[in-house]
Amino acid sequence: MSDALIELLPSVLLEGLLLGCVYAMIALGYTMVYGVLGLINFAHSEVFMVGAVAGIEVYRYVGPHIDNPYALAVVAMLVAAGVSGGLAVAIERLAYRPLRKRGSTNRLVPLITAIGVSFFLQDFVRLIEGLWHGEFYMNYPADARMEAVHELPLGMTIQTKSIIVIVVTAAMLLGLDHLVRRTRLGKAIRAVAQDLQTASLMGIDPDRIIARTFLIGGALGGVAGVMFGLLYSQINPFVGFVPGVKAFTAAVLGGIGNIYGAMLGGLVLGTVETLGGTYLFFLTEGAIGNEYKDVVAFLILVLLLLFRPQGLLGRTQGDKV
Amino acid sequence: MAILDVQNLTKRFGGLVAVNEVSFGVEAGQIFSLIGPNGAGKTTLFNVLTGVYRPEGGRVLYKGKRLSGLPPERIAHRGVARTFQNIRLFGAMTVYENVLVGQHPSIRYNYLDAIFRTFRYFRAEKKARVRAHELLEYLGLNDRAFELARNLPYGAQRRLEIARALALRPSLLLLDEPAAGMNPQETDEVKHLIRRLRDDLHITVVLIEHHMKVVMEISDRVVVLDHGRKIAEGRPADVRKVPAVIEAYLGKGALEMIA
Amino acid sequence: MTPGWIIAVIAAAGLASGGALMAWPRSTWPLLGVLGVLFACLSVRGHKSSRFAIALALLLFFIPAAGTENTFLFELVTQMGIFAAMALGLNIVVGMAGLLDLGYAAFFAIGAYTWAIFGSGQAAEFMSGSFPLAGWPYFYLFSALAIITAALTGTLIGLPALRLRGDYLAIVTLGLGQVVRVLANNLDQPVNITNGPQGITPIERPPIGWLLGFMRFIGLGDNPALGYAIFFYLLVLAVIGIVVLVNVRLDRSRFGRAWVAIREDEIAARASGISLTRTKLQAFATGAAFSGVMGAIFSAKQLFVSPESFTLLQSITILAMVILGGMGSIRGALVGAMAVTLLNIEVLKSFSDFLVDLRQSGYVLDLGIVSFNFANLSDQVEPAKYERMIFGIILILMMIFRPSGLIPESRHRLEAGSEKKDGMTG
Repeated sequence: MSDALIELLPSVLLEGLLLGCVYAMIALGYTMVYGVLGLINFAHSEVFMVGAVAGIEVYRYVGPHIDNPYALAVVAMLVAAGVSGGLAVAIERLAYRPLRKRGSTNRLVPLITAIGVSFFLQDFVRLIEGLWHGEFYMNYPADARMEAVHELPLGMTIQTKSIIVIVVTAAMLLGLDHLVRRTRLGKAIRAVAQDLQTASLMGIDPDRIIARTFLIGGALGGVAGVMFGLLYSQINPFVGFVPGVKAFTAAVLGGIGNIYGAMLGGLVLGTVETLGGTYLFFLTEGAIGNEYKDVVAFLILVLLLLFRPQGLLGRTQGDKV
Repeated sequence: MAILDVQNLTKRFGGLVAVNEVSFGVEAGQIFSLIGPNGAGKTTLFNVLTGVYRPEGGRVLYKGKRLSGLPPERIAHRGVARTFQNIRLFGAMTVYENVLVGQHPSIRYNYLDAIFRTFRYFRAEKKARVRAHELLEYLGLNDRAFELARNLPYGAQRRLEIARALALRPSLLLLDEPAAGMNPQETDEVKHLIRRLRDDLHITVVLIEHHMKVVMEISDRVVVLDHGRKIAEGRPADVRKVPAVIEAYLGKGALEMIA
Repeated sequence: MTPGWIIAVIAAAGLASGGALMAWPRSTWPLLGVLGVLFACLSVRGHKSSRFAIALALLLFFIPAAGTENTFLFELVTQMGIFAAMALGLNIVVGMAGLLDLGYAAFFAIGAYTWAIFGSGQAAEFMSGSFPLAGWPYFYLFSALAIITAALTGTLIGLPALRLRGDYLAIVTLGLGQVVRVLANNLDQPVNITNGPQGITPIERPPIGWLLGFMRFIGLGDNPALGYAIFFYLLVLAVIGIVVLVNVRLDRSRFGRAWVAIREDEIAARASGISLTRTKLQAFATGAAFSGVMGAIFSAKQLFVSPESFTLLQSITILAMVILGGMGSIRGALVGAMAVTLLNIEVLKSFSDFLVDLRQSGYVLDLGIVSFNFANLSDQVEPAKYERMIFGIILILMMIFRPSGLIPESRHRLEAGSEKKDGMTG
């Protein structure tokens, strides 16, 4: 049996890498917002879901006019990035900013608002899709060219769509790295994350920077939504929840507030989860299987928060007294 | 014997050494002041003494027993109370409740006593209520007892913090800038209050204060910190003559001291 | 304090709406009137005994009298009561102690399964003995046991979770709440404990011969369905009474004060000698216990439990009740539970019916770019309840415009009142 396990390993790792790409892209949104506002943006999982749904709409309405599936995927990602980015900005503007302006000291208030937004969006999308198309369980259409299988060394195989996911993720991560490190906006974001008040004294408009942060995080989440749809096909208004919590776990794993941590955490979590899900099944001879993989991810989160809350790349910060 | 014995205490934050090998002893019944310029490590020292931070080196003995390493609530149970530089009251609770919370360790009844309202519950609550009113009376807050703590004016909030600290029945009280932001008359009242705490209630007081007038007039002993190190210790009159102290206080503080 | 004439108006309104409900037990307006009067009894100040008397008259006379004609009334108020107990429990955790718990429904599940497993044939799957445990003491014993199992689970989950900072606690409790559901879903193998996704049914109910006897005596016949509707109604009312009493007593003890103190300022609370872990665990376990006992009652009332009754949506529903009513406010939790349950059962149903009507009428919505003919509305849309949307809106609007809720926590009044006796409050 162990031979089978070793034989499986490369493809399981590849599977984990793909899932990790999705997690990493979502985790960036959590971590960037946490960096500037210190808020767990529960609504981010719905920003991701809306991206996936926007992608579906592109396939529905633009699909028939474009025969090239690669170009179509890119268009879907661009539209999803725009819709999700815009949505994230709108959420910030309408729900979070009024709270910030009021200067409430209760930490629960923004968190509860975020949960409210998250729940609202799930049903709102359900209603819209229900009215628009009469259904809210959707599938990304399969295209033979996207599903085409390529041979890799070690007996691995990879599908075209998987290559696209990996390439797009790599490109987005490199682009984000460039943006954060080399541009004025990136510098301003880092300044606000470090100390919002000081940054505003230095002539940075924190509201604008916060909005941009939401825009970037939301756009990445939207692209992740389309990638998720390409990989796993089935989409519905409630699809954001599980990947959302996982991506948050990934953000914590890497060290919340740290964008490289989010990337790393996403890839690690995706791999660990896929490995765990597969091998637990084998090792317990089917008694404990894939259905426990969410439990495994949550337990990782709990253990992590208890024993290394600063994550893999984070630093400890004491509370100020 | 010293009621509080601080030995080679060190606290670091990353590369910054906030408290550096500081040692001193406080005798029972003293009013003991910690002074020093901003960022000298005074409040950090308080936080180490009360268990908010763990020290990297050295130790703290209280009545001969080790205090360092204990969590804040254990230290409170031992009889060390404190106030905070940036007032930390329970804002949504009444003045009166704040003082009741302060008595938490000495109110002894269990969960079931509270649910079934047993004799023990009534006895303990009654005692706590009476004492709360005594303390509020002592600090002149009785007519505000049922206001929310966050609605009190600034000076009253400072006094309430002291009342809450006294509710713990401490033998050692750490006051972090009790006269900060007060006008001369209020400052004078604080001065008298601190004396009364020592003389009436026999509480040893360790004080962080920037009002040099207060420090010089009421302290039995003064320790001066600068950049986390102790640079002088002695009677107030002696400390003010130490050149290193004058240097540390160059500027407004130095003039105030010499004057 | 509220002037006496307002109390008189409330009493009159109570009498009028109660009478109207008896006359037209199936009509919505008298029901809303009765609920409004109950709401008023909870929200005005002073006159404790008069308010109490009005509420009792409605709950123990008018509603039961009308309920014998329309058992939906019992169902509605029972449902409100079950949620109210949970809202009161969550209020301790979130409202008083300031710990955002998003997995609260898990404790309800623990309580429900505690009775469901032993009150059905399910226990025979993994242990010997004769099941279900029918007969009179068992249900009550297991309801008490549910308090303990839920409180223990709360402690177990709380031990790691409560060491975390506020926002991390939220996501961890959310995760652990899901873990309980996944366990309920999958513990049908290797050993069948929960019967997996199919759930457990039928679940035993306690015998109510005494009640049926009484019903025959007052000429109501002995229809067991009506009997159980009345039984659970009274049981839930009694439990709610106990829960409120326990809540108030804890609130005015060193435990309640410690909860609020750690919510207000953890560092100052510790400096006052309050142990964070112990205090948080006490809050967590107390909240869990209330939920647990109602879980056991719920499983007997429904005759059926499955993992689907204990989702995140449930947890958020209860959170919405606490937020709407006012965090930290006992009366707020009651009002919140009433309002949200009503919304859930009545208003959302009406919205669904409204969509059905639109479809049948073939109404065309024309927005210029998009026009939509409701005749094409899919079945998928219509029966669905839009509770997430409603709760989401409640949470957002309350947080932005009235974060302290409909009936804000008022420690000020509470302490003054307990000091000076009734009627002197101000």
